[in-house]
Amino acid sequence: MEITFAVLLWGVRIAFLVILYVFLMRAFGVLHRALAAERAADGATRALGILIVERSPGRAPRVGERFPLRASTSIGRDAGNDVPLSDEAASARHAVLELRDGEWWVQDLGSTNGTLVNGTRIERAERLRAGDELAIGRIALRLETGGG
Amino acid sequence: MMAVARRRPELGLLLWVAALGITGSVAVAAAEAAGFRPQQLVVPVTFVVIAFALHLFLAARGIRGDQLLLPIAAALTAIGLVLVQRLASNLLLQQLSWTLIAAGAFAATILVPRDLTALSRFKWTWALLGVLLLVSPLLPIIGREVNGARIWLGVGTVTFEPWEAVKILLVIFFAAYLEEFREVLAQTQRRGGPVPVPPVPYLVPIVAMWAIAMLVMVFEKDLGATLLFLGIFLAMLYLATGEAFYTLIGLLLLLVGGFVAYHAFGHVAARVDVWLRPFADDLRFGSGYQLVQGLFALANGGLFGAGLGNGMPERIPVVWSDFVFDAFAEEVGFAGALALLALYLLFVYRGMLIALRAPTPFLQLLAAGLSFIVALQTLVIVGGNARLIPLTGITLPFVAYGGSSLVTNWMLVALLIRVSDVTARVRGTP
Repeated sequence: MEITFAVLLWGVRIAFLVILYVFLMRAFGVLHRALAAERAADGATRALGILIVERSPGRAPRVGERFPLRASTSIGRDAGNDVPLSDEAASARHAVLELRDGEWWVQDLGSTNGTLVNGTRIERAERLRAGDELAIGRIALRLETGGG
Repeated sequence: MMAVARRRPELGLLLWVAALGITGSVAVAAAEAAGFRPQQLVVPVTFVVIAFALHLFLAARGIRGDQLLLPIAAALTAIGLVLVQRLASNLLLQQLSWTLIAAGAFAATILVPRDLTALSRFKWTWALLGVLLLVSPLLPIIGREVNGARIWLGVGTVTFEPWEAVKILLVIFFAAYLEEFREVLAQTQRRGGPVPVPPVPYLVPIVAMWAIAMLVMVFEKDLGATLLFLGIFLAMLYLATGEAFYTLIGLLLLLVGGFVAYHAFGHVAARVDVWLRPFADDLRFGSGYQLVQGLFALANGGLFGAGLGNGMPERIPVVWSDFVFDAFAEEVGFAGALALLALYLLFVYRGMLIALRAPTPFLQLLAAGLSFIVALQTLVIVGGNARLIPLTGITLPFVAYGGSSLVTNWMLVALLIRVSDVTARVRGTP
């Protein structure tokens, strides 16, 4: 009886260590799969996206300049913006581009002269697709998302 | 039940956590009583219920993103409960109630504030609150001095370590502050000749933080808090600016402060002395006794340990709060200690990944800073237990006995999960 108890006790002790390691390996597995899933999803929205300058009368930004986008990208006349535009028609903080659930949305921040998407002035947040043109003052920008 | 299905990996991991907590508790209970009674299962089963409830809560709220942090934190907490049962069984029920409170704090942090970025708007409130909490133990009535460190608040029998809450407030404040001034640096690269002088927005907080950290060391006699305080700030400063030089200035200031403190204050010199020569004749049975016994326990553990409940951790004074790592290593050996450290590594790695992918600088700095707290605390206390660095009163996150530490660490986990939730929503990943 006492020997059985001792054997059982050692069984439980060893089980504790084994479970600790199984948990650890499972956790690594979950992390590995989560990262693979993220990479696959990233492939769909490819490095978030870029804005390419289509038309610009001044020297900054130059035509053809590319601005890599962050999940929340600010556009305006202030140098502190992610996409600074030196155009007197642009407001200091003019508009913001946001990635929501894998889709790009643009919102005007109450600018004086407004924001145009494909030639139409926007009122509320507007969905932006790859290839769409964003016009602020005399500057036009095109959205490109790598994968599509 | 789409939301529940999405968090299935988390559920799978929690099943193993449940098995871990129950086997550990059974092993300890059986070894102690040389027999086993079913009512001893109450504590681990309660804990398992709490862990699953948190999982269901996240699933019901439709929280997306990370599924690893909750199981790892739960596994560490389970190990902590097993160790409290083993090392200080009279404190077990108290620790279980703290776990319940921690779970409540976790759930509350998931819910409030609704918009995580709103935290950055009240940064000066957090800074003020943090400094007030930091100096609060020095107040006459509520401040308490325990084991030579004046870092406790007490009302009646309930004591609280305000430092634990301060570290999270600090990370939120730093993240908001550094996000705001990051752009200032990008525009004004002021450099004074060959030696780069940080611009004022950086120089002021570096000096202020150093001064506050030194005050903590001198008046509250808490080396660990000083180290964490400055360490978190320097790490986040480096992450925000990419300037190794600022970090270097901070480290130099820390060295100067440490050197002065070593010569000026007895308690600092005593700690260093114990670290350098714990086996000396005058220390072995005196102030170095705790560390010496801890080292014996580590050595006694060997590769696979003495078995849970089979070691001699009671030889180490205050083992349940200062030396849990040594006690754990003695009973489960190098193998178990390695797995424990791997859990922390995985936690921190996951946290840093969340930081890398976060959509805004504030959220990036927040996640990185929070992960860094866990990394630095683990490093400092395990290093202290193993005599790699001088021993400090920092707790081993989630595992060591202590209420305020457990509660704030679970709030930290909730914040990290929320950052990853925001990221998943922005990117459209599960």
